[in-house]
Amino acid sequence: MLATLDRRTLLKAALVFVIAAIGFVAVVTLGGGAEAASADPEVATTAATTAAGGNILLQNLFNGVVFGLLLALASVGLSLIYGTTGLSNFAHGEMVTFGAMITFFLATQQPVSLPLLPFSFTVGLPLIPAALIGISISAGFGWLQDKVIWSQLRRRRVAMVQQMIVSIGLSLALVNLIQWWIGGRPVRLTTSIDPRNQYGPISVGNVTLMSMAIAIVALLGVAYFLQRTRLGRATRAVSDNPALASASGIKVDSIIRIVWVMAAGLAALGGILLALYQQGIGFDDGTQLLLLMFAAVTLGGLGHPYGALVGSLIIGIVAEVSTVWLPPDLKFATALGILIVVLLFRPQGILGKSERVG
Amino acid sequence: MADTVFTSVPREPGAVKPNAILVADGVTRRFGGLTAVDVAHFEVERNSITALIGPNGAGKSTFFNLLTGFDSAQEGEGTFEGRPLRGMSPAKVARAGMVRTFQLTKALNRMTVMENMRLGAQSQPGENLVRAFVPPLWATREREISEQAHELLHRFKLYEKREDYAGSLSGGQRKLLEMARALMSKPTMVMLDEPMAGVNPALTESLLDHIVELKEDGMTVLFVEHDMHMVRRISDWVVVMAEGKIIAEGPANTVMANRAVQDAYLGSHHDTDLFEEREEA
Amino acid sequence: MDILFDVLRTAIAPSTAAFALAAIGLNFHFGLTGLLNMGHAGFMLLGMYGFAISLQAGWPIWLALIAGLVAAGVFALLLGWPTLKLRGDYLAIVTIAAAEMVRFLGRSQSLKDLTGASSGIRGKDFKEPFELLSPFPDRIVEIGPFSLHGSRSSSWWLTVVTWSLVFLFAAIYWRLASSPWGRVLKGIREDEDAVRSLGKNVYSYKMQALVIGGMIGALGGITWSLGNSVQPDSMGRPTTFWIWTLLLLGGAATVFGPVLGSILFWSALTLVKSVASALIPSDVLAPTELEPFSLVLVGVTLMLLVVFRPQGVLGNKKELAFNG
Ligand SMILES: Nc1ncnc2c1ncn2[C@@H]1O[C@H](COP(=O)(O)OP(=O)(O)OP(=O)(O)O)[C@@H](O)[C@H]1O
Ligand SMILES: [Mg+2]
Repeated sequence: MLATLDRRTLLKAALVFVIAAIGFVAVVTLGGGAEAASADPEVATTAATTAAGGNILLQNLFNGVVFGLLLALASVGLSLIYGTTGLSNFAHGEMVTFGAMITFFLATQQPVSLPLLPFSFTVGLPLIPAALIGISISAGFGWLQDKVIWSQLRRRRVAMVQQMIVSIGLSLALVNLIQWWIGGRPVRLTTSIDPRNQYGPISVGNVTLMSMAIAIVALLGVAYFLQRTRLGRATRAVSDNPALASASGIKVDSIIRIVWVMAAGLAALGGILLALYQQGIGFDDGTQLLLLMFAAVTLGGLGHPYGALVGSLIIGIVAEVSTVWLPPDLKFATALGILIVVLLFRPQGILGKSERVG
Repeated sequence: MADTVFTSVPREPGAVKPNAILVADGVTRRFGGLTAVDVAHFEVERNSITALIGPNGAGKSTFFNLLTGFDSAQEGEGTFEGRPLRGMSPAKVARAGMVRTFQLTKALNRMTVMENMRLGAQSQPGENLVRAFVPPLWATREREISEQAHELLHRFKLYEKREDYAGSLSGGQRKLLEMARALMSKPTMVMLDEPMAGVNPALTESLLDHIVELKEDGMTVLFVEHDMHMVRRISDWVVVMAEGKIIAEGPANTVMANRAVQDAYLGSHHDTDLFEEREEA
Repeated sequence: MDILFDVLRTAIAPSTAAFALAAIGLNFHFGLTGLLNMGHAGFMLLGMYGFAISLQAGWPIWLALIAGLVAAGVFALLLGWPTLKLRGDYLAIVTIAAAEMVRFLGRSQSLKDLTGASSGIRGKDFKEPFELLSPFPDRIVEIGPFSLHGSRSSSWWLTVVTWSLVFLFAAIYWRLASSPWGRVLKGIREDEDAVRSLGKNVYSYKMQALVIGGMIGALGGITWSLGNSVQPDSMGRPTTFWIWTLLLLGGAATVFGPVLGSILFWSALTLVKSVASALIPSDVLAPTELEPFSLVLVGVTLMLLVVFRPQGVLGNKKELAFNG
């Protein structure tokens, strides 16, 4: 890698840094104290947290880790799909929203309806069964998607760029379908108020602690699957070299099917936990999150199974910690800026490897 | 077949040539733990046909990439016609007169054969954005280019196909097109990565003739080939790579009799002479 | 009858022309060069910010226009710099991210004085200099079955200007695409390593295409804002995807594909919305659900189009812009 990290690259990176820095300084000085006027509910929560906590930096660092873990949950699937099929799946964000929304649909005490059906009804399951059913339905949706769309496209040998645009179309269709189904307002999975506990300088709610625990267990589960089980090893083999894997008797198509099911299930879990953590989820929150997921996956190394985790933690921490100095409504912009800067230094991502030409 | 210039050249790895056009020195390229190329010294004689052979994975294509600017070495220097190659982009290398083809053919599928050919030409003023707006500035050069392309297409038996999309050509025809396209730039040196792979025997013959013609036209040819029969027929000098290193150099016959070369190809347990059998077949 | 009339009016509307312009820009990126620009709306938004903010600062209109175009050009340079050396999907991810950054920045409270934050810049705050140039009378004018204002907002004046620009840039596309310059770009679309090996500076050509396409996109944004207003949230990701859909619908890598695509796309959307609201009872499909409903259709159309007719209406299957 020494060859690509030459002086020119460094110079470029430095220049972009300088430009970015000037931009941010301009933004902050122009802005003054305007952020208090923001009507964005998410901004308001963050502001509230920072006010309550003693040490702002530590608190934000902690929030960043929590957010990073949830982001990792959502983006592991994106990375696995990229690794095994080469597809940059732009419809993955909607899988996150879908998981949360189907859970809302099953759990809420308010009347709900389905698109095109002119009557409404209440399901009203308790949260935990609703979440489990929601994850299963999402996983089934992943299975269905691969069966109906993606495996067909692979069989027809449709070019990758075309498949990517198909996923964009799917994303557009799904996000609007969800809006049509649930409506444009954010919804909450529980109505109960989460009591906050103070641990040293960090204040955290019980639900958040639970979410963290669940996310860590799920991520460990994925790691165990990839490292220790036969299926997981086969998955890594397909990621490494599909042609070789197929030649050595691995059923590549069934592996990919399993990856889709897993990816969709994990995304749904991520969506549910996110909805709990930020106390509500809107129809396009997943769509917004997709960019951060891409940033995380690219940062970690496109297609590298553990890259998603590393990248997500970095993106999560950067996004949250940046709010110590920058207006909170710019935190996503900061995270995306980091992605661009990293691409300058290490285009193949943190854990990725370079490719051959010719 | 060996040229008389080579009589005085020692038959050893890294041999110094009387009139070298391309020189590489101490070139190493590592991929993680794997050292793909580790060439101490390498020279190509001007206006000769040099073959680069070696078992699969020897590092031949990687070495090509390093020489033509498609990849950069961790260490080492190279010069082409006395000009240093380090840091030169692939485009600059090509403009300096060293053009290459690829092991996996890169025909531009959704462009016609003629468009492929025209793209190979140098100094077309119309390739500049501003001048592109004003056809009179480039139409004359375009006619010259088209004529040159027609000539080459005749020579490579592709003239009938000139208005077809390159994607509709057969594998062998694409190899021919790629070579013809490379020649559009009137290079001083051509580097061919397995030009004969996948080409049927009838076409192979004419391809060999083309390569010999290039030398007669004053060009230098460096090519990678696995078929020893072909190598023996046209090359003046053969360089053998194995595991990234140059292990032998010399005229085809001397090199193929070399113990180290046979070991590299067959492992140390062998009792038949691969190359002799190949020639009889 | 009313529906048909609505459809016709959409077909010639200035915003249809604005989208055709933006699509011509994207055609330089994707159709000609194969660049996956997934943030075209960002170029449009930057163009309109540059234009409207300069006008508010009291600059003359031609200078404001240049400011808008330069903003988009600089944006293209900054984006292309790190990514044009990398594989195609990196550009896709970075452009989509950067376009969202522009939108986040634009709607950020910190920039309220400059960009008007999430409510944007109102039309009457910047349109006047353009409307003063109008040779049309300052009242509603009826031509044939259409009645539009002569000079204000989506006026006859704007209609004439936008469609003239569309045909001018279609001609420019044709001239450049059939020149040796365009040939190099097509070669890059097919296989950039091959083009490199033929002595062309691929990076520089890709950058030229990115800048030109981005600036045309910005012009599309500026003309769009003249018929509407500067609104960051109307230039989000869906807008980029619409442009992709209409470009692929008309036929990427063709001269009139973007124009035909824009007309078909917006007419079809109007048709679907009018028919749906006329035929489907409102307890099945409430008026507020009409928008998401039609966007679901756009998404599905995009999917079907890319799989079953990737060359679009005007394209040639053998000269497809997709790499197989
Ligand atoms: N980008 C890369 N990353 C990692 N390893 C690489 C890369 N490119 C080449 N290699 C490795 O370098 C070694 C040399 O490869 P190279 O393609 O140069 O061989 P070759 O001599 O051309 O073989 P062949 O005759 O089969 O074409 C191989 O072991 C290959 O796996
Ligand atoms: Mg090789």
